[in-house]
Amino acid sequence: MVKIKKRKLGGAEIPTSSMADIAFLLLLFFLVSTVIDVDTGIGLTLPEYVPIEEQQFVPLSKDRLAALLINENGDVLLNSEIIAIPQIANRLTERIESKIGLPSNKKLVVSVKTDRKTNYNLYIQSLDQVKSAYFSVRENYARVKFGKDIDKLTEEELSTVRDEIPIIISIAEPEQVNN
Amino acid sequence: MKFQKKRATAKQEIPTSSLPDIIFMLLLFFMVTTTLREVDVLVQFTLPKAKAIEKIENKRLISYIWVGRDERIQLNDNIIQLNAVQELMYKKRVELPNVIVSLRVDKNSSMGIVTDIQQALRKADARRINYSTYLRE
Repeated sequence: MVKIKKRKLGGAEIPTSSMADIAFLLLLFFLVSTVIDVDTGIGLTLPEYVPIEEQQFVPLSKDRLAALLINENGDVLLNSEIIAIPQIANRLTERIESKIGLPSNKKLVVSVKTDRKTNYNLYIQSLDQVKSAYFSVRENYARVKFGKDIDKLTEEELSTVRDEIPIIISIAEPEQVNN
Repeated sequence: MKFQKKRATAKQEIPTSSLPDIIFMLLLFFMVTTTLREVDVLVQFTLPKAKAIEKIENKRLISYIWVGRDERIQLNDNIIQLNAVQELMYKKRVELPNVIVSLRVDKNSSMGIVTDIQQALRKADARRINYSTYLRE
C-alpha cells in the first residue's frame, strides 16, 4: 500500500498588506460621491391655501401690523414710508419689543408684499432684516430674563422665548394679474 | 577597547494588521455623517447672501427646487414646467409628510416666478419652505 504522505502546509496567511489600500479606495469613493455641506437659509412656513371665494377678511389693527412692501423699482416701504433696507431691522426691533408681554393675539405681524418684477435678492435682504430683528429681540430677551445666551437655554426656556416673541411673517396674497 | 554597537533585538516592523480597521472606521464615519449626492443640477444659479439664517438639521427631509438664471425650474432630476410643480410636490408631500422645500433661486430672478412656485406649494400643501442662502460674513 502506498502511503499517502500528508503534506504539511506552509504558514496559511492571508496577505493583508493591501487591505488598507482597498479600504482607502472605498473611503475615497464615499468622499467624492457624498456631500457634507449643510443647508442654510431663511425658513418660512407658507400660509394654507384658501381659494379666493372662501377667503375671509380678518381685520388687523394698525398697531399690530408692519407692512413691508418691496416694489419693482427696488423701493422698500415700511408702513408706506420709504426706508433703506439696512434700517428695517432697527425699526422693527422697537416694535417687536413693545409687544413683549402682550397676549399672543396682540403680537406684531410682519406682512411682506412684493411685485412680480421685484428682484429676488431684495426680497431676501428684506426678509433677512426682519428675521434678524426678531433674532436680536429674542437674544436680548433671553439675556434679560434668564441671564443666558439664547443657544444655552433649556428647551423649556426656549419655548417661553418663542411664545413671548413669535415670528409671524405673513406673505401677502399675490394680486391677480390681468393680462 | 573596542566598543560593540548595541543593536536592538526587537523586530523592526510597524504592525499594519490593524490599519484596515482604522480606515474602515473612517469610512463608516463618512458614510454616517454625509448624504449621497442625488441629483445633477442642470440650471445655473447664484444664491443670495443673508445673515439671519438657520441650518436645516435633517437633510433627508429636504426637497429641492432650483430656479436658474434663465428662470428654468428644476425639480428632482429634470427641468419642469411651472404647472407641474404642484402635482410633483403633492406626491412628495404624501411620501414625506413633513418635507421641507428648499428653494434655491438665483438672486437676480424676479419675484414673479417665486410667487408662482409658492402658490403651487401652498396648493400642494407643502408649506414648510426655506430660501436657500449663503451666510454673509
